[in-house]
Amino acid sequence: MDSINSNVPAFDSIQLKELKQKLIDGCHILDREGITDGYGHVSVRIRGTDAFLTLAGVSPGRATLDRLVLLDFDGRYLGGEKSPPYEWPIHACIMRSRPDVMSVCHTHSKWSSLFSVLKGGLRPVHMYARFLPPKGPPIYPEVGLIGTVERGEALAKALKDSAAVLMRAHGDAVVGASLEEAILRTIRLAFIGELAHMAVAHGEPHYLTEDELAVFSADPAFPARPWEYYLSRAHERRSP
Amino acid sequence: MAANRATAPAFDSSELKELKEKLMTACHILDHEGVTDGYGHVSVRVPGVEAFITIANVSPGYVTPDRLIMQDFDGNYLGGAKTPPNEWPIHACILKARRDVESVAHTHSKWSTIFSVLPIKLKPMHHYGKFLSADGPPVYQGIGLVRTVERGNELAASLGDGPVVLMRAHGDAVVGASIEQVIERTTRLAMLGEWNHLALLHGEPKYLTAEELEVYNADQRFPMRGWEYYVSRLKG
Repeated sequence: MDSINSNVPAFDSIQLKELKQKLIDGCHILDREGITDGYGHVSVRIRGTDAFLTLAGVSPGRATLDRLVLLDFDGRYLGGEKSPPYEWPIHACIMRSRPDVMSVCHTHSKWSSLFSVLKGGLRPVHMYARFLPPKGPPIYPEVGLIGTVERGEALAKALKDSAAVLMRAHGDAVVGASLEEAILRTIRLAFIGELAHMAVAHGEPHYLTEDELAVFSADPAFPARPWEYYLSRAHERRSP
Repeated sequence: MAANRATAPAFDSSELKELKEKLMTACHILDHEGVTDGYGHVSVRVPGVEAFITIANVSPGYVTPDRLIMQDFDGNYLGGAKTPPNEWPIHACILKARRDVESVAHTHSKWSTIFSVLPIKLKPMHHYGKFLSADGPPVYQGIGLVRTVERGNELAASLGDGPVVLMRAHGDAVVGASIEQVIERTTRLAMLGEWNHLALLHGEPKYLTAEELEVYNADQRFPMRGWEYYVSRLKG
């Protein structure tokens, strides 16, 4: 256990500089896009270790380099600001159970919160949802903040091998193979939520089937494009 | 907790400076978040006396230090601008009836107003509503602005010992143990109203039960985070 984390770079090392800046950019993007409010957090795994960087008890829109914290998967403090988020087990438990996941976003998104208390499921109505299963993301049904490893593990179990899990009366957790992917999926999940909500108000929409989702998934992706786009919007706001 | 004393500090005393600034910030937040429009007001109790400071007949978004007023619970003028808000009894009667309340917000929030005229209650379906009871806030049915002590007392009776009362065809009154708490509750009540509205278009949502609300209330709180966040948004 300790051996793997002997590779964790020091919090202030040059190796983590770029990752930290990307984490802050990701947080500012979620705030700029109106997905997070005073709460929510994003994490990124330190490659090759059982450790991650996340926000230290600060609203995503207010994240700065001196308000980040480095933790291991048991919640032990490894560096940075000494105020880990109360719900650190969201990140630790998901990353531990999902070696493919490099980044996790947790938000109180309006649209995820909405579909978390409805019967119908947030089903794909647009190709942007091609990362979702045809029945929509699973719903973690328990109440209470994810302040314990027990709750974190139950959440990771509900997420299973999906890209997103809705959390009842709470919000969502969205994962990705990179920070950019987790942020993009979080934005798209909100977009799909809004679209699905509007569509359902007209009656049952024509949802995408599993086969149809696979067609979209087979087409080329342009992962750098939306990140550039959202980053430019966040930057515009930072320096008006 | 200041000791009870016979008279309120002078309106311009340094003792009230911080409270006045916080009150103005609170008003600016409600305006910036789109909860208040040209109307609405926030008040804060003056520690240790039966008096409060509120905004002197000005829109919350426009409040400045020279447009605050201090009044006692009978509406007598104690200092500041000489234009009390029409509905000062909202604040006086609630602060008089509720020793635990330090601050009151009154708004014409779109979402409170809509649920004030529907047969369906504004119930918690997200933990942001954990300060509410499972069956949602009561609705004050009286019609007319709350310009008299009689109406103010009726409103305070409807509020009971809860955090919120909706006012039919009018808006809401929200109370708390601090200005920060009142602002967080007022903004969240509006969010929750919007989310309830969206959910109800799909049918009956799964609401949080009283026991489930207790689970959230037992979790750690972050009393200042929301306030800090909303203050940061004022700065752009």
